Amino acid sequence: MKLGLGRLRDVLKTGSGTTPSEGEKEQAEGQSKIEPEEARKTKIEGTKPETPNGNEEIIMELKKTGLEPKKEPSLPADRTGAEKTGLIFFPAFDWAISPTHPEREERLLYTRDQIFEEGLMDLPEIAEYKPRLAEYRDIARVHFCVPDIKAQATTPHLIAAGSCLVLGDALMKAEVKNAFALIRPPGHHAMTVAHGNRGFCNINNEAILVEYLRKKYGIRRIAIVDTDVHHGDGTQEIFYNDPDVLFISFHQDGRTLYPGSGFINELGGPKALGRTINIPLPPGTPDEGILYVLDSLVLPILKDFEPELVLNSAGQDNHYTDPLANMRFSAQGYAKLNEKLAPDMAVLEGGYAIQSALPYVNTGIILAMAGLDYSCVKEPDFKPGMFVQAARDRKTLEEVVAAQLENWKNRDRLVEAEVAKHGDFYRRKKQIFYDTDMIQEFQEETIRMCPDCQGYKTIDSHAHRGVDDTRIFGISVPIYACEKCQAEAREEYRKRLIHPGYEYVYLQDKKQDEYRAYNTRTKKETVY
Amino acid sequence: MLIGIDVGGTTTDAVLIRNGEVCSTAKVSTEPGNLLNSLVEALDAVSRDIPPEQLERVVFSTTVITNLIAEGKTDRVALVLIPGPGVNPASYTFPDSFCIKGAMDYRGREIDPLDEVEIRKTVGLIRESGFSRAAIISKFGQRNSSHELRVEEIFREDHPGCKLELGHKVSGKLNFPRRIATAMLASATRERYQEFVEKIKKALDERNIRAPVYILKADGGTLPVEKSIEFPVETIFSGPAASTVGALALTPEGQTSVIVDIGGTTTDLALILSGKPLLASKGAKLGGFLTHVRAFAVRSIAVGGDSVIRVKDLSLGTKQMTVGPDRAGPAYCMGGKETTPTDALKFLGLIEVGNPERASEAIKVTASELGKSETETASLIVDGVAQMITDAVNEMFFEWEQEPAYRVWEVLQEKKARPENVVGIGGGAKGLIAEIAKKLNANPVIPEYAEVGNAIGAAVARPTLTLNLHIDTEQKMYSVAEEGEIVSLSTTKFGNLNKVRLDEAEALAAELLRKRAEDFGISKYADEAEIVNSEVFNVVNGWYTSGKLFDVSMQIPAGLIPEWKRREKA
Repeated sequence: MKLGLGRLRDVLKTGSGTTPSEGEKEQAEGQSKIEPEEARKTKIEGTKPETPNGNEEIIMELKKTGLEPKKEPSLPADRTGAEKTGLIFFPAFDWAISPTHPEREERLLYTRDQIFEEGLMDLPEIAEYKPRLAEYRDIARVHFCVPDIKAQATTPHLIAAGSCLVLGDALMKAEVKNAFALIRPPGHHAMTVAHGNRGFCNINNEAILVEYLRKKYGIRRIAIVDTDVHHGDGTQEIFYNDPDVLFISFHQDGRTLYPGSGFINELGGPKALGRTINIPLPPGTPDEGILYVLDSLVLPILKDFEPELVLNSAGQDNHYTDPLANMRFSAQGYAKLNEKLAPDMAVLEGGYAIQSALPYVNTGIILAMAGLDYSCVKEPDFKPGMFVQAARDRKTLEEVVAAQLENWKNRDRLVEAEVAKHGDFYRRKKQIFYDTDMIQEFQEETIRMCPDCQGYKTIDSHAHRGVDDTRIFGISVPIYACEKCQAEAREEYRKRLIHPGYEYVYLQDKKQDEYRAYNTRTKKETVY
Repeated sequence: MLIGIDVGGTTTDAVLIRNGEVCSTAKVSTEPGNLLNSLVEALDAVSRDIPPEQLERVVFSTTVITNLIAEGKTDRVALVLIPGPGVNPASYTFPDSFCIKGAMDYRGREIDPLDEVEIRKTVGLIRESGFSRAAIISKFGQRNSSHELRVEEIFREDHPGCKLELGHKVSGKLNFPRRIATAMLASATRERYQEFVEKIKKALDERNIRAPVYILKADGGTLPVEKSIEFPVETIFSGPAASTVGALALTPEGQTSVIVDIGGTTTDLALILSGKPLLASKGAKLGGFLTHVRAFAVRSIAVGGDSVIRVKDLSLGTKQMTVGPDRAGPAYCMGGKETTPTDALKFLGLIEVGNPERASEAIKVTASELGKSETETASLIVDGVAQMITDAVNEMFFEWEQEPAYRVWEVLQEKKARPENVVGIGGGAKGLIAEIAKKLNANPVIPEYAEVGNAIGAAVARPTLTLNLHIDTEQKMYSVAEEGEIVSLSTTKFGNLNKVRLDEAEALAAELLRKRAEDFGISKYADEAEIVNSEVFNVVNGWYTSGKLFDVSMQIPAGLIPEWKRREKA
């Protein structure tokens, strides 16, 4: 891209040293100066890894002027006539956390061999799509990235998230009836604040997809069913206070597995109680147990909730050969689960039995989504009836299901009772551990108990990384917030900028689709 | 001197090239029932006065295989499939299939043994059903061919006369259904193709032509005709491949061009990107089956010089003009019965052939139906046809840009190209090229000898060769997809197998490619080989690295023989 010298100077002037309010003014002027197309191009460039640091600043600042004028959301098309299953296979063959880490280049290699040898991409029922990079603002719509987006969302992360967006668009345009993002790196452990990698995740692919679709297509009610063996704590945290997003996760009991959460008392924030449903499964649960939970709890609740879209966080580590967990799910079980759940879109999460499970599980899921015969898909060593559920475990599951059905039925009463307990604000303190990056984070979350909307959220977060401490403050305005909450939140942002305790202050205004990050040391604000 | 002959559906074209220049050309009608006659006639037309010993090379392209398959004149083949777990083989649409027990996994490890009793029963059934040909294809047979080989042995014992085709020898690429189709078609066409080759050799012998004879493949490469009997299906679609290589020969080096070959009923499109003809990302479709045959990305659209122009009445008194997709004989100005794009071109003075009075007559009829002036009508027709072709060109570029990417660098790579040239090849509808070029904002190019560009392409194409090497150091073996043999790593120069580097794997690939080029008698092109893709994966068991997997793909890409003198000012 060519930048005229004058424009460069303008851009630099807009950047460092200006107060945010001045920045806002500059942005309005800039909008008429730079063509939208050029702005778009700079964004693509900005995500390239080879962009030198100095350039990056200019590009970031340019983006500020590239804010698209507010657009009315386009409506999702009617999908009744769509016949194909959209598929993105992005194995990121050139990316790993480290050479022998479970999340390494080889993870989807044998899956590639299997699905290519099967000729699945040639099937008339499958439409293969090309991945793209997600834009920084797509990430900013969900996360407060510390110190910045570039540090948390590397190119492979942007491609994994971007792949979900490509399929989300295909779905909304009714090019496909459903879709499967067979991608890595995964994302369901990434929470709103991203200080680093936890549970192999930096940014949350499903959450980025949800907020993108809500913004672009105006949909509101979405259900996420997390079938990874690990509790989807990141997705849960992001939508904990959002009554429009139903989050259901079944996973190996948190007392026996990372991340150690996902118990039945985690039901959602005060105004969204019952919209988070956790089902801890006893270790060793086979197909039978998981399908029981699906039939007796997940499907009835989904039917009741009437979501506009059902997403599946499709981890494959419930498999009986997975090295990181202790469940006994099979490829047939996965295919059947997918067929019954019939998600509009599935996104791959974990699954580390890369030879003994993934090739077969993925073949089963793709066939099931495309409505094809999966009866011949099986692992080499699988024998029907090899896993039987213990009677005691069955009883445990029955109790969990009964308790959660009760919670679901009473959800509105639970909300009413809980809301009455709090004044103008609801506060809670949390500790979050980042296993991959060894960070201990302390948070105080505040929700405005607004009578007209779900209320804005603030997070005061303090991260310890060895001797390095970082403290940040983030403010999030929900997409369907009331104007009063929006104004209050933006005022809060302005006030926090001069607070000496924070290194970074963030504003996430999903209503306005405007995202700001302020570095209090350099006094520089970035607008995404 | 070089001879190139393209046996097309309508005409057979030939050229004689001397010192890198076109010396003479010929065009004869193709006799659909006797391609050999047409070929020989065209050969004689260009070589009549040439002493046969001065000929250095004869290359032809032919539709013989395409015709055999289209007309259903293929032989019956029994398919013995070893599918293992995965897609239900009952969903395959292949005829005469016999599925048997046994399975290999993606690393070539046996996961389910063969059942000898079942095999003998199946072979007996195949023999009793009167099959004299069979193809044996195992899922992941390219990673371990022992099942296919064992079934072959049993055939030799129980049905000795049966001609056999093994999946792993047909293609080593991943995709079982495509391998089945490719093996089936190869087996079904081989004998008739062999007869055809024998006849050609005989005809050349009678003319004392001792020069090496090659056939053009769908990927624009030449293959010695004797060798081609092993790979009959690779000769499909060699017509469009000949035109593409011809366009490459007739345009400046390194440019991006779209090749437009406008025929009577259809228009064929191909792309040259920065001097390289674009290959289809997957194999060609043949007789309704997807195959592993490597072919140029060619698109055929149902519009041509003789497409019938019709005017339809829509509601509310509006009228709509349609082009094709059918042809009802030649254009009106060439003695036909219906208005066609050729008549519009003639009316506007954009072509030389045809009767001008008849062209006016045809346009007049259409204009009155449409309620517009004659000039306006003729322009609308030309514009409409040019637009249809332009849309197809844009779609081709879009599809190329949207090809799936599996690696970070592939996603980052900006795939954006637009044609610099619109190159008209073949005899048809020259006047349209300028219109299409205008719409694509490119230069219209009608090269000298464009009408025999296909024959020039055949004459000057060089050999192509691919080599896909797969190394598994944990299992201590390597295999070359194109050859099917599984070879122990102890035969290589690798020392410590845990420390094999990617450059060593690439060196092995280069060495194997050189050897393969020698086998094909094309050693002098081995230096043109390039690495298309090369990657290494660690195999991790538990938490330690227990081996490495390498995949190296090399090719000698389509190109021109050095004898050809490219004209920079085409």
